[in-house]
Amino acid sequence: MRDREIDEILRQAAQVPHDVGPALLDRIAGSIGSSLRPVRPLPPGWVLAGGLILICAAVALAGASRLGFYGIQKMSAWERALVFPALGIVLWLAAAACIGEMVPGARRRVSPGFLLGAGSLAVLAVFAILFHDYRTDHFVSQGMACLTAGLLNAIPAALLSWLLLRRGFAVNSLGAGMAVGTLAGVAGLAMLELHCPNFQALHVMLWHTAVMPVSGAAGALLARGAR
Amino acid sequence: MNADSDLPMLMARYQGGDFAAATALIHRLSPQLHRFFIVQLASRGHADDLLQETWLRIHQVRHTYRAGEPVLPWFYAIARHIRVDHYRKARRAAAREESLEEIPEVAATLPPGSGRTPDLKSLLAPLPESQREVIEMLKVEGMSLEEVARATSSSVGSVKQKAHRAYQELRERLTGMGFGTGHTGGLS
Repeated sequence: MRDREIDEILRQAAQVPHDVGPALLDRIAGSIGSSLRPVRPLPPGWVLAGGLILICAAVALAGASRLGFYGIQKMSAWERALVFPALGIVLWLAAAACIGEMVPGARRRVSPGFLLGAGSLAVLAVFAILFHDYRTDHFVSQGMACLTAGLLNAIPAALLSWLLLRRGFAVNSLGAGMAVGTLAGVAGLAMLELHCPNFQALHVMLWHTAVMPVSGAAGALLARGAR
Repeated sequence: MNADSDLPMLMARYQGGDFAAATALIHRLSPQLHRFFIVQLASRGHADDLLQETWLRIHQVRHTYRAGEPVLPWFYAIARHIRVDHYRKARRAAAREESLEEIPEVAATLPPGSGRTPDLKSLLAPLPESQREVIEMLKVEGMSLEEVARATSSSVGSVKQKAHRAYQELRERLTGMGFGTGHTGGLS
């Protein structure tokens, strides 16, 4: 049996008129009409994405200015040229994913789960390429301090992003929570790169990168709880 | 669907508070949204409830439609959300047994070799939910792959894959029912 024949069967099956009771349609129109007022549509996607990127950049800079810009000062030009553009790309993708989740019928460039996994791996790969000091001095204590600082920085980024997106409507709240969590995690990670002068490879690869998946997972869990 | 070319204009007027545009949209789109719910194995009464709920939600979030974007994926994304949400609540209420019982009942109305065109609901009933909605939007409502991808929050590749798998399943099923090359002319 050919696809064209299946098409034809589907076409014939769909030809049967499908009517909805006029009373039901009147009832729907009546319920809508009673509260019909002009509304202001959401701004274009690039405006929302720009707003989200600005929020995350501002939160990362504010956090680093409070703790000190020791990390970026210690970085070589080569390290700066790789780390921050990589974070910028992940941030831009995360902002696009947030908009895709908060606007019904929007084009989905990347799913939040894929973004979280691939984004974390990409950042991990950049760190693995750049940092080759494999000592593990104060691995857990310094690591926990960095993870905590990164996550604490992600919280205001998440709240402000949610505020910007509050007029949207998440058709998949779990995905929206994960996308916003990932976006906020990138803000936390960017703050750590600006601030933390510990360039031991395992420290950066584990504790810094972990901010993103932990924040993304927290966002998904919170959204699931709120559903 | 060429008749849908004025939908963006109606949406813009609806967002501007035009009751006539809202009514026109309700009359234009309700039958296909209702069929969308029916094809997902809802009863007629249940589909009526889902339709009402969908329009109330559409009304609440009408500002999320952005001019220049395709209209149908926006409507279907919300309808799909309502259906999934309702299904989740129904599952929580342990109503799962009802939907499981419904499938064999539908299948029983299609004896092999009956030679007549099954209705859409029966035809699509054996497909998994994700494939059913893709076929309904793609082949029944005439939406493009891109529009279906937007409505289902997935990629065009994923939509193509689901449609392909659905066609494999439908091919097997229809062949088993006695449809095949040269038989399409006899369907009515």
